[in-house]
Amino acid sequence: MADLLGPLFTAFTLPFMARALVVLLALSLVAGIVGVLVNLRSLEFISDGLTHSVFPGIAIGFVWGGREGLFVGAMIAAILAAVVLTVITRRAVSGDAAIAIVFTAMFSIGILVVSRQTNYAGQLEQLLFGRLLTVTAAEVTQTLVICAIALLLVGLTLKQQVFRAFDRTAFAAAGYRPLLLDLILNVAIALVVVAASSAVGNLLVLAVLIVPGAVARLVTVRLWALFPLAAGFAALCAWVGLTLGFEASVSAGIDLPSGATVVLVLVAGYLLVLLGRLAVDRMRRPAQPAVDPEPVTA
Amino acid sequence: MPAPLALRVSGASFAYAQTPALTGIDFDLHPGEAVALIGPNGSGKSTLLKGILGLIHRTEGTVEVLGHATAPAGTVGYVPQTDELDPEFPVSLEQVVMMGRYRELGWLRLPGRKDRKAVAAALETVGLNHLAKTRFGELSGGQQQRGLLARAVAAGPRLLLLDEPFNGLDQSNREALVGTVERLKAEGVAVLVSTHDLELARAVCERVLLLNGNQVAFGPRESVLTLDNVQRTFHEVGVEMDQHTLVVPGHEGH
Repeated sequence: MADLLGPLFTAFTLPFMARALVVLLALSLVAGIVGVLVNLRSLEFISDGLTHSVFPGIAIGFVWGGREGLFVGAMIAAILAAVVLTVITRRAVSGDAAIAIVFTAMFSIGILVVSRQTNYAGQLEQLLFGRLLTVTAAEVTQTLVICAIALLLVGLTLKQQVFRAFDRTAFAAAGYRPLLLDLILNVAIALVVVAASSAVGNLLVLAVLIVPGAVARLVTVRLWALFPLAAGFAALCAWVGLTLGFEASVSAGIDLPSGATVVLVLVAGYLLVLLGRLAVDRMRRPAQPAVDPEPVTA
Repeated sequence: MPAPLALRVSGASFAYAQTPALTGIDFDLHPGEAVALIGPNGSGKSTLLKGILGLIHRTEGTVEVLGHATAPAGTVGYVPQTDELDPEFPVSLEQVVMMGRYRELGWLRLPGRKDRKAVAAALETVGLNHLAKTRFGELSGGQQQRGLLARAVAAGPRLLLLDEPFNGLDQSNREALVGTVERLKAEGVAVLVSTHDLELARAVCERVLLLNGNQVAFGPRESVLTLDNVQRTFHEVGVEMDQHTLVVPGHEGH
């Protein structure tokens, strides 16, 4: 038993593993919470669009300033994309088409920029799939700061975000500005994408954003339990995924890309929970009482 | 000095984008009074409610709530139709009603004892205390409707706008809803309720506004609900008319 569980702790005595864990745990916490809102609002496609549109920022920043410039470029692109996206989805009749057009265009610009570089393939791979195990101490700090901002944005507006997700018309009727709230959420999503880009990469961030929220929805219908559940699930998967990648490399000599390993652990976790849910539903169904009968009220 | 009007709409027109949706609206609403908004589907009932809320562009005229050009925060309650809501949304009835308190709570404060009390009282008003913990989507349509009414009530509004609250309700839910509206009126709340149910208009409303793209008539229900007016309002919708011909006052006179 100790042999199996030992690596869950010992692996992280190595500084580069500890840094990777810190980055992933911070990311999990924020992506879990933001991800629940993405799920409640059905913003999966928009989130995908955001990951694509942040990419040129990452690429341009990288070409200009190397790894230091990456965060700056990503931040600028993220904020811009969030604003454009908020406006597009409000104005356009067919939001999905507009999102798809704008963001594939953005992604292509990013690829063009990177393609001007020598060692094009290697750098593109890093940007798309991350390089979790070579994250520097400075990048850890940057990630923590960006995660904190995203957490603050969503945390301070959480109950309003839920109200808006449930009933937009009544929310507007209550005197709130849905557009402002949408902008805040979109910026938070974009920040998660930025924070994740050096760790799990630009393409895999979508899994971190979407799987935990979907898992939480499978586990509970209790609103305020969704957020800690999603964050906890993401953190657990990050931990297990990192350990797994480390063990595979140390014990078996198999070099697994860490970002992809974590994502696969997330997806495996989702499948497990889904099977569990189906089993529970199947067991409960015969005993399920009828929906509460209409009460007689005077 | 008389209490200010809860609502005054003067010469107002509303439009979606550039398409005019509703023109020539002129009416008012006193505290403690209910006005029925009657017209066939697509006649602009929802448009008018959303126009009063400022969610739809007003192209001309004025709307005043409690004497103000923009409604003071928290004074207007709105009960939308339930079919626009996601039945799978993971939220309990109690939590939905608590949303009515958010405006007063502001951005940062969490609900406290006062808010929980207000929620319980609102649920009591609509007669749904026993279902407080039930997931909203598991409630019947009528219970959901009453739940949304409770959410509006929890905010303590002075003017309440109800969009087709009686659609598809069974007798017990209908009675509960009528009872709630009567109680709110007694507390001085002004109620504007859209419906295509003439019977209901007679049950809870003092005055009636007939609507069909424009204002057909407005006034005390006895003088407005004439066969002639009702025919002018519902002229292309035979089904609605057939259902209600028998309850139209003044029918005998024609």
